[in-house]
Amino acid sequence: MFAFRAAPQADLELWLGIAAFIFVLAVWQLVAGLGLVHPQFLPSPLAVVSAWLALVENAGYLTDVGISIARVWVAFLAAALLAVPLGVLMSGYRAVGAFSEPLIDFIRYLPVPALVPLTLIWLGIGEGSKMALLWIGTFFQLVLLVADDARRVPKEFIETGRTLGAGDLALMKDVLLRAMLPNMVDSLRITLGWCWTYLLVAEIVASSSGIGYELWTARRYGKTPEVFAGILTIGVIGLVSDQAIRLLHRRAFRYLV
Amino acid sequence: MTRTGAFIEFRSLAKIFSDHRGRRTPVVEPLSLTVAEGEFVVFVGPSGCGKTTVMRLVGGLETPTSGEVLIKGRKVEGPSREKGMVFQSYSSFPWLTVFGNVRFGLKYRRDLPPAEKDRIARRYLDLVGLTAFADFYISRISGGMRQRVAIARTLAADPLVLLMDEPFGALDALTRERLQLQLLQLRNAEGKTVIFVTHDVDEAVFLADRIIVFSARPARVLRDVRVSEVLPRDRTMEVMETAPFRKLRREVLALIRDEETRTEAGTTEANF
Ligand SMILES: Nc1ncnc2c1ncn2[C@@H]1O[C@H](COP(=O)(O)OP(=O)(O)OP(=O)(O)O)[C@@H](O)[C@H]1O
Ligand SMILES: [Mg+2]
Repeated sequence: MFAFRAAPQADLELWLGIAAFIFVLAVWQLVAGLGLVHPQFLPSPLAVVSAWLALVENAGYLTDVGISIARVWVAFLAAALLAVPLGVLMSGYRAVGAFSEPLIDFIRYLPVPALVPLTLIWLGIGEGSKMALLWIGTFFQLVLLVADDARRVPKEFIETGRTLGAGDLALMKDVLLRAMLPNMVDSLRITLGWCWTYLLVAEIVASSSGIGYELWTARRYGKTPEVFAGILTIGVIGLVSDQAIRLLHRRAFRYLV
Repeated sequence: MTRTGAFIEFRSLAKIFSDHRGRRTPVVEPLSLTVAEGEFVVFVGPSGCGKTTVMRLVGGLETPTSGEVLIKGRKVEGPSREKGMVFQSYSSFPWLTVFGNVRFGLKYRRDLPPAEKDRIARRYLDLVGLTAFADFYISRISGGMRQRVAIARTLAADPLVLLMDEPFGALDALTRERLQLQLLQLRNAEGKTVIFVTHDVDEAVFLADRIIVFSARPARVLRDVRVSEVLPRDRTMEVMETAPFRKLRREVLALIRDEETRTEAGTTEANF
């Protein structure tokens, strides 16, 4: 387990992961408890937890969490729905790749916050501008990742499919997509994480609901425990969805040994 | 064997590769050759001479620079189910089971109902002796079994010609022997036309009705050795101990050796 590239041991690895959290919590409690830092800057973990519980009970906080999750998933699914076919086509047809890749690469390097003013001008402060921002941030990254996943499929698989009589469409559906699926699920998992980042940007700058908005409001009134509670919420949601997708990956792709 | 004329015909087939600098490498010289229906033809030749390229040209996976290949009088234009290929490795789909892979060979045959496809897939699985491993994923079976999966899958697709590029190259000697025997039996049962590439001269003589010895790059036919005129069609491993076998083997080996030394002396190009 502690040797280089040793065999996996699921239980032990789980406990090591939990130990890391306990360690950070312990250090945090120690620093806060000894009064080394003013609570205005670093409230104790207990203060944060009670702030979180208060938020959940009183302020309709869970509604905000729900709104944020919904925004991320709607924008993410909309991005994925287009990015996956386009990515596959970009790898499959040289003309599509040559046409779209430089442009997508250009847009991909624009920092999403730089687009906020523009989306506000075009779409106002409603849901539309937030969706657009998340979609832009996710789609252009994802499409290039998907195209790369497709390009990494061994040529032999494609040629085997062809010599067994598969046409273009069948080849993409039955061979290419199947071969790239495990890597693509990873790409989706990674871009889902990025999507959360853009959500926070959007909600802080232009919103009256959502986790980011609550976080920013708490800051404005100097409620540090609530700020921490907000950050913690985002972290927990991220951890849960990431682990859920990993679990799904292991279940769905058992053939990968 | 009955000669029904040209089943596969190479007509002045030539291939020149150009690299990114536009430097042109002729890999196949204008090559003319005919293969009869049901013939088992083995390509041998010095390393890097262009055997794989010739094979891929027949399979429609490369486009000739000039000339053409005809199968049953029809020009080869791109890959299709009529030209079944077995590669050296990497060709079985890891997301399918052994049975799933063999069944995939029938996926695009619209003439068969699903139940019939299942039946045919099971039959080929049985023919290559893998029925007990039907539900295993590819990552859980050995290299020899993987090649048998690839062969069963390709045969299930019912191609006109079976193209095999060093299919047993990565296997140990005993597994290789077993698969060679199995392949001969399968071929005799199915009557398929086979083109087979190998580095191994023993394998070539053992399997072939006919051996085509290629020159060093660019590939040109150095010798057309009619093995079936010397050795019986039904062969067992014992044939390897006979005098005619040894004579053929020596002859082919000498041709390749001479060709390799000739080119090594005449070229400064790095060869690996
Ligand atoms: N796509 C390609 N582009 C450029 N050159 C190529 C390409 N494919 C093959 N070649 C060159 O053509 C020559 C013949 O290659 P080929 O793979 O056909 O030989 P081979 O006889 O099968 O070799 P081996 O015995 O090692 O399998 C080699 O020198 C190789 O570098
Ligand atoms: Mg080769």
